[in-house]
Formats: sequence, structure tokens, C-alpha cells
Amino acid sequence: MGSRASTLLREEEIEEIKKETGFSHSQITRLYSRFTSLDKGENGTLSREDFQRIPELAINPLGDRIINAFFPEGEDQVNFKGFMRTLAHFRPIEDNEKNKNLPATEPLNSRTNKLLFAFRLYDLDRDDKISRDELLQVLEKVDVEQKMSIRFLH
Amino acid sequence: MFSRMAPRGRSGLGRSLAELGLLLLAILVLLDGTVLSLVAAISSESDTHEAKPVTHKNTSKKSFPVLGIKYDDVSVPFEIALWVLLASLMKLGFHLIPRLSNVVPESCLLISVGLLVGGILKLARDEVPPVLSDRIFFLCLLPPIILDAGYFLPIRPFVENIGTILMFAVVGTLWNAFFVGGLIYAVCQIAQDQYSDIDLSTIGILPCLLFGSIISAVDPVAVLAVFEEIHINELLHILVFGESLLNDAVTVVLYHLFEEFMDSGSVSAVDAILGLVSFLVVALGGVLVGAFYGILAAFTSRFTSHTRVIEPLFVFLYSYMAYLSAEVFHLSGIMSLIACGAVMRPYVEANISHKSHTTIKYFLKMWSSVSETLIFIFLGVATVEGEHHWDWIFLTSTVILCLVARIIGVVGLTFIINKFRIVKLTTKDQFIIAYGGLRGAIAFSLGFILHSEHKRIFLTAIITIIFFTVFVQGMTIKPLVELLAVKKKNEAKRSINEEIHTRFLDHLLTGIEDICGHYGHHHWKNKLNRFNKKYVKKILIAGDRSKEPHLIAFYHKLEMKNAIQMVESGGGSKLNSSFPSTVSMQNIQPKIQSPPSARPSERVLPQLTKGREEEIRQILRTNLQKTRQRLQSYNRHTLVVDPDEEGFDDLFLKKRRRMELDWKLKQMTNYLSVPRPQGSPTMSRARIASDSQAYVKPGAENVPTIQIDLASPQSPDSVRLLDEVVQDQGLTMSLPSSSRGAYKTSGKDDGRDQQTLLRCLSDPGPDPDDDDDEDYDDDEPVPT
Repeated sequence: MGSRASTLLREEEIEEIKKETGFSHSQITRLYSRFTSLDKGENGTLSREDFQRIPELAINPLGDRIINAFFPEGEDQVNFKGFMRTLAHFRPIEDNEKNKNLPATEPLNSRTNKLLFAFRLYDLDRDDKISRDELLQVLEKVDVEQKMSIRFLH
Repeated sequence: MFSRMAPRGRSGLGRSLAELGLLLLAILVLLDGTVLSLVAAISSESDTHEAKPVTHKNTSKKSFPVLGIKYDDVSVPFEIALWVLLASLMKLGFHLIPRLSNVVPESCLLISVGLLVGGILKLARDEVPPVLSDRIFFLCLLPPIILDAGYFLPIRPFVENIGTILMFAVVGTLWNAFFVGGLIYAVCQIAQDQYSDIDLSTIGILPCLLFGSIISAVDPVAVLAVFEEIHINELLHILVFGESLLNDAVTVVLYHLFEEFMDSGSVSAVDAILGLVSFLVVALGGVLVGAFYGILAAFTSRFTSHTRVIEPLFVFLYSYMAYLSAEVFHLSGIMSLIACGAVMRPYVEANISHKSHTTIKYFLKMWSSVSETLIFIFLGVATVEGEHHWDWIFLTSTVILCLVARIIGVVGLTFIINKFRIVKLTTKDQFIIAYGGLRGAIAFSLGFILHSEHKRIFLTAIITIIFFTVFVQGMTIKPLVELLAVKKKNEAKRSINEEIHTRFLDHLLTGIEDICGHYGHHHWKNKLNRFNKKYVKKILIAGDRSKEPHLIAFYHKLEMKNAIQMVESGGGSKLNSSFPSTVSMQNIQPKIQSPPSARPSERVLPQLTKGREEEIRQILRTNLQKTRQRLQSYNRHTLVVDPDEEGFDDLFLKKRRRMELDWKLKQMTNYLSVPRPQGSPTMSRARIASDSQAYVKPGAENVPTIQIDLASPQSPDSVRLLDEVVQDQGLTMSLPSSSRGAYKTSGKDDGRDQQTLLRCLSDPGPDPDDDDDEDYDDDEPVPT
């Protein structure tokens, strides 16, 4: 990455990210500016505190889990590539995969990968299994007030 | 309570019963028709009698009439009642012949009946009273249907697709209107028909555009009538139906606009801009008026805890006021009604008693059903009445143009819309949307009140279009849906599991949107929900909705009542022993193991884990006598048929249930299957179709199920058994297959267990202030 995170992203990097994640050029640029605006420390990476500074995320019941999802195992900083890699899961699925550059691996926004991402959100201790307690915690977190039957969980 | 012999015998009995019923019905209808014509004849005679009495005063004194006919005083209500009776009898008749109602949609049959009755009336009296006057239609017949649709509108799919719906409603209708209007004008100019008795080229461009605007609107009544019977998937249903509701604003504006232009004679650019502004005013104004009345209704319902009896009345009155107020200001009454129903529903349902809820549901369905029937019959009658200008060129070109306009409109719009949608609309979807653009009685009424000189020919064309769409498209859409293998409505009710995951994903997507700094769909929805929870609900919902201690307390109260009743009714048979006698709150506290970076749980109250919750639910189901069933269906013809609802005798039902329990016990040990409850295949199909909670395909693996066996001697420990099982297997909560062998039941039983489990999972818990919980609304055919 560049030495000053607030400067432009280099073209090669944009190309790399485009290939890996499938975002378009304008999307990458926009997300990069968002990345830099979140990055208060200006060191080109985001820490957990940077995420927690987003006000809506603080009141989101799943906020901490989402933040965790950005940080790979054991690390505390996420660079732009990692940021984009996580966000790439949320792109819409394209029906005809024109992506010939990754014949081996599935693109990041395939259905399987989306499901994997969601699974990892449930699986807090990252043992690749969702235990009963983990599921219960999800139920407690998620505020399902609408359906009257779940009033029990309050 | 019929024995298992009954199903086999009943079909034979049913057939003869159906025929008998049909015969009876035919006689009744004939009687009705003749009475109608008779009264028509009498009333026409009595007109002439009015002039006579003056001269009779000087004649000899008549003897006291013991029996006389004085028809005039009651003529109007009498006729109205007769019409409604006719409509209801017709409805009855159609459902006695399942074969017919499969092929032909009800609307077609009703129009045919209307034609018949109109013919009879014409013969009897040589003229037909204009029964479908626009006042009756717009003020009495249309509101119940729209309120029914609005109150039971599925909010989530509607709001998710609101962009698409608006595009279709606004842009699509505009396109239709101008395309048809313009091209008809062109056709009229070019056409030279020697056989026509009017000169088509005299029809100016403005009348043509007016005609186009009338004919272009998709009609909610017709769409509802036809789409209900074909059970397509929710997305398509809500798209076409939403479009038909929302295009009312466009129609109203266009209609008044062109009428004004016709009177004033000239159009200027200012008028066009004013028209645009007026459209926004009409649409938004209608919605605001409706929302205002909805909030009023919700607020009123907060205080009705002591006058439960008139609760439904408030709902109906406020909605009707919303409609009328909107009509006063020339705003869109339909949108106002929809907004009112949709806004007030969540709050009103939280406030009103269980019985009021049932009353509202049944009344709405009943009124809208009768209204729709009447509309179609009157349409048929009105066709017979009056002279028609059969101009072939005009008629055929109108029909063709409408079809072409619709197809081009839908395809073009979908092309644009798909760029913004995540779930794209396929060609099949587009075809169904285009094909489902039915015209109906609204167009007819609007045409009826035209003041143009070409009214006759327009009216004929409108009727032709209506007939064409309802008959041809209505009848063929069902086979086409089958042919094209369009996705049908998902019969299973959303399980708790799905609900949880949906909410989870909502929060996830909202969070991601916030990270990206993107103010999208989820962001605003989340904001609205939070605002709703924080402020609005506190104002509009009375009291404290239940928390779990209340439910447990209620359960205990009910247990006591049960016990007393059992004793009173002369010693119980074996009590259902699958419940523990005490469910202490201490037992059910889960072990919370905090994940590394999660916040510690702030709750101090003991939590009910999901497994325990389901167990308690199941327990309550076996003993609770009332369920509050959230019917998420917008299906009018088929309310859940409730065989149990006849007997409001607690004891009687208790006895019945006990006997059924015993009986079920016996079968489970004998591996026999539980027969389906009484009801014709249509009824049960209809029940399943309408009741989105009613049916789960047995063997749906992803639904966490708990199989409760009543007969097992282990039952008092079944709670513990489930607990162990649940702990082992994490996500899945069904009994392991080894023990299923012991409790082996047929697939139907599984289905029913799942059904009741799911239904009880939707049990909202009782109303704390509901002191009339003697009654119940047990829609369940066979208890577990």
C-alpha cells in the first residue's frame, strides 16, 4: 500500500482488487474514500475502534460480530484489501460468470461464500460448528419483537 | 368425530348432496329472479297507481283489508336484500361444484349470472333499473374490498418491491393511457366504416385520451378475484395487486384532468404541469389522510379495554371515514383506505381482544366477498341494459391496442427496472404480469359517469374489454400458470427459524450499509423500526404487552380451570401427562458463555431458551383453549374452515378433545394414521391455501421440530429427553431417528404435529386484560 493512506490508490492495486472481488472501478474508488474517512489514524489500516466509531454500528445488535468478520483470525488491523474482500461477499450474484480469471476458486460473492460468511457470523468461537449456545446468543441479540411469539425472549 | 369409514362414504354422499344442493339452489335462484322481476313489475305498476287514489275518495267505503300488499315502503331495502341474497346463493352454488370452479374463475360465472338475471329483468319489465350507479359502486361496493386488501396487505413484500410497483402503477398506466388514447384517435381518423352508424372521425383527441385513461387502469377487484384462485408466488401477486391499487391515483388524476380539458376546450403547458402537481397531491394526500385516520384508530383502540364489543366498529368506521374524507377532496380514496388499514393494523391488533380480531377478520372477508359478487353480477346486468353501439373497428382495435400497450409497457418497464433490482424479473414473470392486467368494474363506473356525446360507444368498448380480460384472460391464466410452471405460493408458514435468520440478515445488512456509508433500503428501514419501537408503540399500544412471567401465570390459571372442569364433568379420563406440573423459572436459565469480544449480556431476567420456549408452547397448546391465529393471507374466498367453532360449549369441546385424545392414543400405538378432518378436498385445500400457518410439508428437514408423543410412559420426562437430545445435536432439535421408531406415526401425523407446533409457536400469548377468555378460537382440527 502507499505510504500515505490518504493519497490515491495505485492503479495496479485497483486492478488487483477488481479482479479479486469483482467491484467496478468507481465502486472501489468510492469505498476507498470511505475507508480513508474511517481511518482516523491514517496508517492505511482500520482497527476495531475505527469501526466502533460508526454510530449506527454501535446500536446494531450484531455490530460486534460484523466487526469481527472483517478481521481475520488473530489480527487487529485490516487493510484496504481485506476490507474489500469482506465487502465483496455482499455483491449481487451474477448469473453468468464472466470471470475467467478465477477458474479454480469461486468468486467471493458466490452463494457458497455468502453462506460461509453468514455461518461464520454465528460461529463465534470459530470452531466451524454452531453450538446451541451460540445459536441462543443470536436469538438473544436479534431483536425479533415483531413476531409476537418471540416475546418470550425478552 | 366421524369414524374412519366416513371419508369413503362421504364422497358418495357428498356427490348426491352436492347435486341436491344444486337443485335446491337452482330453484332458489329461479325464485329469486322471478321475485325480483315481480317486484320490478309491481313497482312499475305502483307508480301508475299513485295518481289514482285521489279519485277514489268518494267511492263506497271499503271493508277493512285483512291482508294487503303494501310494497312501496319496503321496496328499496327489499330489492337490495334480494340482490345480496342472490349473490350469496350464487357463491354457495359455485362451491358445490368443484369441477366448475376449477375451470372457470368465479368472476366469469358471476358475470354470466348477472347477464342472465339482467335478461330476466328486461323481459319482465322491458327496462332494467340502473343498479350499478356510480354512487352505489364507489361508496358502498368498493370500500369493503379495498379495506380487506389493505388491512391484510403483506407489508414486507409490498415495501420491498415498492419501487417496482410504483413504476408499473404510475409510468405503466400513463403509458397505457396515452398509447391507447392516441392510437385509437388515429384509428378513428383513418377508419371508414360503412356499417357504423356514427362517424368515428368526429371523436376528438381529448375524448380518446379520456377513454384511454379509463381503460388503462388495472382493476384491483378483478385482479383479486382471479389471482386468488391461481396461487402464484407472493412476488408476482404483490406486484400485480400493488400496481392495481396504486394506479388509482393516476387514474383519478388523468380522468379529472381530461374531463376538465374537454370542458375548457384547450390545453396549455401550465395545465400539464398542474396535472403533474395534482398527481402528487392526490397520491400523497390520500396516503396522508389514510395514515392520519389509521393513527386515530390505533389510538382509540388503546382505550377500548372496557368496551370490547364495539372495537371492530372503530376499525371499520375510521377506515370508511378515511375513504370518504379523501373522496371529499378529490384525493385517491383507494390509497387512503390502504394506508389507513396498513398503518393501524399492527397497533390495533396489539390492543384489541381476541374476539374482536376474529370479528374484524370475518366481517371484512364477508363484506368484501359479497361486494365483489355483487359487482360482477351488476356488471352483467348493466351490460344487458341500455343500447350499445357495436362498432367493430373501434372495438377490435381497442382490444388489440390494450393488449399491445400492456405487453410493451411491461416489457419496457421491466427492462429498466431490472437494472435496479437484485432479484430480477424473468420473462415468465413479465408474461404473468402483463397477462394479469385485468380491467374491471372501476373502468365501467368511470365510463358510466362520462358526459361525453360518445358515451355509448365508449361504454360498449369498455364492457368489451372487461369481458375480454375477465373471461379470456381470467379463464386461461390458470392453465398458463401451470403450463409455464410459474412458481406457486409457498404453502409453509415461515418458521421461527426463518424469522430469526431473516432478522439476523436484516441487521447484518444494515450494519454493512453503515460501514459503507451507504444510506440504503436497510438503513431507513432500521431507522423507522427504531423510531417505531421507541416512541410510537408507547403511545399507541395500551399497557405492557406480555412478558414471560405473565404467560406462565396464565398457564397456571388455565391449569386450574382445566382441573376444575375435569372434576365437574365427571372425572377425567387420563390427563394429558406430557406436561410437567411446574415449570420453574430457575430451570430454564441458559448457560451464557460469553464469546471473546461480545458485550456481556445486560439482561437480569431469566431467559427462556428456545427449546424451553417450544416445550412450554407445546404444553400450552394441549391445554390452551384459544389461539390467536395470525392469518397472513390476502385470500378472500377461503377463510379457514373451522369445524370446531360451532360448539361454544366448553365442556362439550373438552369432552370431545379428550375423546379424540384417547382415540389418537389408540392409533399411535397401532400405527394407524389419523384421518383428515371432515371437509371436502376443496375446503381443506382452500384451508391450507389460505391459512399460511396450516400446513407444513412433512419431512421438511430444516424446520426444527419437536415430536411430542402423548402415549409414551416417559412423557413426564419428555422434557428432559428433549433437553438431552437438544444439547447433543446443536442446531437440530428433532428427536433422533432411533426413538422415532417407537413413536412412529404416519406422515400426516408428522405434518400435523409440525403444524400444531408451528401454530403454537406463533401463539402470541394472551391478552392480559382479556377477561372473556372463556371462549376460544380453536382452528385446529385435531389436537395433539
